[in-house]
Amino acid sequence: MPNAILDPTGTATASPGSARPAAARAPRPASLDGARVGLLINTKTNARPFLAEVGRLLAERYGVTVTTRTKTNFAVPEPEDVIKELARESDVVVTGVGDCGSCSAAAAADGVVLEAAGVPVAVIVTDSFRATADAMAALRGAPGYRYAVTAHPVAVLEEEQVKDRAAQVLDDVVALLTQPGE
Amino acid sequence: MTPPDPDEAQRAIEYCYDQGWSDGLPLVPASAPLVESFLATTGKDPDEIIGSLEQVGRDCTVYLAAVNAAMAGCRPEYFPVVLAAFEALMRERAARGGGFQSTSGPAPLIVVNGPVRQRLGFNTAGGAFGPGFRPNMTIPRAIGLIVRNAFGIHPHVFEQATQGVPGRWSICVAENEEESPWGPLAADGGVGGGVSAVSTTLTRTMEFVDNRHAPDPEDVLRDFQDTISRTGSQIFPKSAVALVLCPEHAQMFAAAGMSKAEVQNWLLERSGRTVGEFRRAGKAEVTSRRFGPPGAAGAGHADDGPPRADDEFHPILSGPQSIPIIVAGAKNAAISMVVRIFGEWSGTSVPVGDKQ
Repeated sequence: MPNAILDPTGTATASPGSARPAAARAPRPASLDGARVGLLINTKTNARPFLAEVGRLLAERYGVTVTTRTKTNFAVPEPEDVIKELARESDVVVTGVGDCGSCSAAAAADGVVLEAAGVPVAVIVTDSFRATADAMAALRGAPGYRYAVTAHPVAVLEEEQVKDRAAQVLDDVVALLTQPGE
Repeated sequence: MTPPDPDEAQRAIEYCYDQGWSDGLPLVPASAPLVESFLATTGKDPDEIIGSLEQVGRDCTVYLAAVNAAMAGCRPEYFPVVLAAFEALMRERAARGGGFQSTSGPAPLIVVNGPVRQRLGFNTAGGAFGPGFRPNMTIPRAIGLIVRNAFGIHPHVFEQATQGVPGRWSICVAENEEESPWGPLAADGGVGGGVSAVSTTLTRTMEFVDNRHAPDPEDVLRDFQDTISRTGSQIFPKSAVALVLCPEHAQMFAAAGMSKAEVQNWLLERSGRTVGEFRRAGKAEVTSRRFGPPGAAGAGHADDGPPRADDEFHPILSGPQSIPIIVAGAKNAAISMVVRIFGEWSGTSVPVGDKQ
């Protein structure tokens, strides 16, 4: 009987219970009228004006109130206490802009975790980082998690261009936050 | 002894490729007896968790590190150095954060000090950055395989390097302590007394300084200053470089009466560019007093003052930890390397553990 070749990943021997359970998608409100919108800004260049414009347009269109938070570290998911506070103070959350390797994954992770806490989220990433956002969502138990996409790059845009981008992605954000789905 | 069966060996190697475990090069298929011989070199419990990447929910145990080190081609006796290198790496803020996922694709720079260099046959002389020497090549490869396999960071998925760094997972320098005029890096990292130790940081690339004809050490220092001060690598108000000095440059500075700290301080004061030079390179923000969010990497200035003048000098290094100095290579030409550190060095070294 020859020796087995050992697995270097540690995943083949993991007990079935250690796999992440499927993460629930939060129920959606029928509309955003008068909703409390939490903006979670990941600090990447232009993320702040981008999300601020999304918030301004949502306030204009639906009379939402906006609160703004800043991620402490764009590269990793938010700590549990921040997630809880966000869930308490917001009916829906918009976060981004995931435009790098670690921050796109972290944005997707924040989205999945907030959804499981009952808050609908619109995660915004640039189109260069779909693969890593998809991989993180699947890892967190939400394969196929839907998010909004804007063209890469965002960091080099001028002020008016950022506003245009926010306006362009607005319908997708609204749909993500209000349309029921799987 | 019957020679091994090459066809069987090849099937085993192909099996490892098929599982997605390889970095692209052939792996040594790891068997339980082989991995046991690695584990026998350390007093650590195989189940001990030695590193976690919380964002992907993965841990590395001593056992997984051993499997990956075996697959990388390490000999069992290298394993304590792998463990020390990995511990040192995981002390780096950037490595615990998103470094392995980063578009910058940083490479660990592993520096080995002490008698373990001779005992395990590290190259301490010419060709310090390799190749040609088994411990220097396989130990950093083991770290790369741990990141790939134990942490699950695969290219084009969680690993999003735009171009990456040439030689990523292959940079392990054994300091040329015998020809260095100064103490070893490990002593600067808090492990003195000639104890074998490993220091690790993440780097973005390196650039040589070839200056073999100048008799004046200040001229040579100015040459280093120019290379350190490039705008292209500057993305935060402060940055860090490791100087890998060849013995000839190090001895030249020492002969002029300079300690390692004096070389560091000379360069600390002078490395940088004017505000205007950064502005003309489209990088005015790195000179801004209000760069980045509070507490973020590189946030250097809390105060909000008047705009800075174009001719104001903006120094880019911030202290001895932002310019660690290592002596490596052959004493055959005055060629040194400026290594760009990704983020900052923890400033700490890890002793190579013995079996308890």
